[in-house]
Amino acid sequence: MLASSRRAASLALRAKPATHLLPLRSVAAFSTSNNQNAAAVTAHGSTGLVNKERREVPLPSQGGHQGRHSICAVRINPFKTTLDQVANWARQSSLWPMTFGLACCAVEMMHLSTPRYDQDRLGIIFRASPRQSDVMIVAGTLTNKMAPALRQVYDQMPEPRWVVSMGSCANGGGYYHYSYSVVRGCDRVVPVDVYVPGCPPTSEALMYGIFQLQRKMRQTKITRMWYRK
Amino acid sequence: MSTITRTVRNLWKVGIRDYFHQMNYIGDTKAGTLIGTDRFGNKYFEDLDELPLRTRWVDYKVHDFDAAQIEPGWHAWMSYAVDKAPSQDPALAYKRRAWEDTDYKTIPNYTQTRGAYKPYNTVKPKHTAWEPVAAPRQ
Repeated sequence: MLASSRRAASLALRAKPATHLLPLRSVAAFSTSNNQNAAAVTAHGSTGLVNKERREVPLPSQGGHQGRHSICAVRINPFKTTLDQVANWARQSSLWPMTFGLACCAVEMMHLSTPRYDQDRLGIIFRASPRQSDVMIVAGTLTNKMAPALRQVYDQMPEPRWVVSMGSCANGGGYYHYSYSVVRGCDRVVPVDVYVPGCPPTSEALMYGIFQLQRKMRQTKITRMWYRK
Repeated sequence: MSTITRTVRNLWKVGIRDYFHQMNYIGDTKAGTLIGTDRFGNKYFEDLDELPLRTRWVDYKVHDFDAAQIEPGWHAWMSYAVDKAPSQDPALAYKRRAWEDTDYKTIPNYTQTRGAYKPYNTVKPKHTAWEPVAAPRQ
């Protein structure tokens, strides 16, 4: 019944000029059904949905960790390492952040270095010079006046370099989004790796952001990609 | 406070295999008592001889570990919000509620996966970009 009606509908549509078909086809392409013909769907009326096979498609969040565990399935052993894993291990265990404390977020960033959270045990030492640092933590509101300085400091950092945007002001302007003098997010000036939400984020949140950055470093595979090429 | 004697003492206690495992994941050599294991296989340890706030730690089950993999009750214990671990405190331990048909799973951090949140807009943009149109010359 479905096939015959579809044939009839396609015959009926073929009589019309092809320009009428095109919008219908584009609509049909959006639906998940197998019907290429939009008229065939409407021909069934209310029972059109009954014959449709239900297809279960996992959400991206349900699809496991593709692209992540395929790389990380190799456990880091001292006897089984690639160059990348050695480099990533060395990088993630000695992060030297360039402190770009701009506002109240900087106070939370200072708390990260105090004994309660004690960033030194993670190998994190604040550097005053951009030429010695790997990570820039943009903590606070980035104003238009400060933006060229931020970019210059970022340009002075040696590769590889990462940027952690801390707080809603640095993420997207935050409270000062509609101000005339504030950059609406520091990602308009520098490429950002990790966004830490909060106003201000707690020190724990910043530390979790740093853990995420370490996680990102663990997945870096420069030499592996170079070798594959 | 990591001294050579402490490292050697802890290495003697945990063994050479756990030593390398800990150096890969914790970055420190620690010896403690196993307090419990949560539903996901993460192991929780405690050693009261350590400095304050370093007495409790977790050994994650998976390699790509994340703090979001910790069960809520164990998170409270890890954060020093409670004294007794969920393995010792039945009020804190996980049990399936009457209205749940499956066991509750913690939501992992989807950053850098396909499931990561991507913002999108479904309404008409509130402003339009200016497109200059040059009038044809007479």
